Amino acid sequence: MTRDIRYVEARALQGHRAGFASRVVADVVDLGVAWLLGLSALLIAGVVRYLLTGPPLRLPVLPNWLDASLGAAIAVGYLTFSWSATGRSVGKQLAGLRVVDHAGRRLAVWRSCTRAVLYVLFPAGLLWVLASRRNASLQDLVVGTAVVYDWAYRPADEPPPTGDGRAPRPARSSTQA
Amino acid sequence: MQNSELMVAPLPPELAELRAHDGRIDVPRLLAAAAFGLAVEAQRRSWDAAAAVAGRFAWPLRILTRPAMALAQGSVAVARHHLDLDGWAARGLTQQRRAQEAAIRAVRALTAALAAAVLDGIDVDGVVARVDLDQVVARIDLDQIVDRINPNQIATRIDLDEIVDRVDVDAIAQRIDLDAIVQRVDLDAIVARVDIDAILARIDLAGLTEEVIDEVDLGEIIRESSSTMASETVDALRVQGMRVDGLVSRMVDRILQREGQRQTGPPLEELWP
Repeated sequence: MTRDIRYVEARALQGHRAGFASRVVADVVDLGVAWLLGLSALLIAGVVRYLLTGPPLRLPVLPNWLDASLGAAIAVGYLTFSWSATGRSVGKQLAGLRVVDHAGRRLAVWRSCTRAVLYVLFPAGLLWVLASRRNASLQDLVVGTAVVYDWAYRPADEPPPTGDGRAPRPARSSTQA
Repeated sequence: MQNSELMVAPLPPELAELRAHDGRIDVPRLLAAAAFGLAVEAQRRSWDAAAAVAGRFAWPLRILTRPAMALAQGSVAVARHHLDLDGWAARGLTQQRRAQEAAIRAVRALTAALAAAVLDGIDVDGVVARVDLDQVVARIDLDQIVDRINPNQIATRIDLDEIVDRVDVDAIAQRIDLDAIVQRVDLDAIVARVDIDAILARIDLAGLTEEVIDEVDLGEIIRESSSTMASETVDALRVQGMRVDGLVSRMVDRILQREGQRQTGPPLEELWP
């Protein structure tokens, strides 16, 4: 299901690699989502402990290393699942972005997992978008992915359209350098 | 009597017409008139005498004359046969009819002349002014007249098409002052006479409302409008992000003193040739 895009400039940029601001917005939203997921996990853990040991009902206080590790794990799991399932997390859905591989297809699980780990370990790699001529972060360069403008909702396996309205290329058949 | 005396003797006014143009008296006409007057007088007196005799001796004479009348009727029959009485009677009757016709003509001419003279002398306006029309009208029995009128018969004799053809409707419409008519209409009074409650009572509002709601898929409209609003908000946010992306890229490129634009477009294979 697709719907018409009212903005002409946005229509022209569909399928192009997204810039720094949109990606930061999307990542900030994803960070908030990951934080909410961690909080939810803590709440669940607190309720479970209350059910098992009785009152008082309070959030568990974890050691810092465990807290950071669990938070990172939750973030990696959320991002991996989002990128490999639909190519877009909540933040990217909001910003109208989609993560694709070099051929414009949905990411494989290993690729999205690697990308998520790299982002959690070194978020500053996003700053390379500013310098990159192709709007690629360090993680994009390492894993071989790209983030494109893609406002339309579509099944995950369908490749995004090209900016000039051409049919998307099915695979890496081009020999262009 | 001298002829000259006759000429100068004065005449009474009623005999003025016997005087000729030169003032002399017309002697032959005078004598003829005198003879006619004498004869008329003699006839009148003899009739009077005869009437007096007849009145006095009528009864015995009638008895005596019956046998004479019978004898005379017999002799008349003989005379009719031998003396051609019928021929003479026919001539007499013809002459009599001629005389009657001449008299009738004279009377008609006289009547016409009299009527003209009378009409000339009548002041019609004065006559009409003296007529009391109210009294005349009061004496007319209008009901009786109306009873004698047959409207159907009159209507069948009227050619309505011809009348309508002769009517200039446009001219009539132009002469009508509609504004004045409308100003005289009291709309408030008309509206006050309308029983709105009764009208509303006759309308099945509940059924009507249900029908309208059945026709309009309200839920679908709300879903569409809310989703449209949400998606439009998100689109506005996204396009703002796009603009900021371009702005940031151009700023960085300027700082780095790069030439040309970034290669952000497809195909994606360019990244990994």
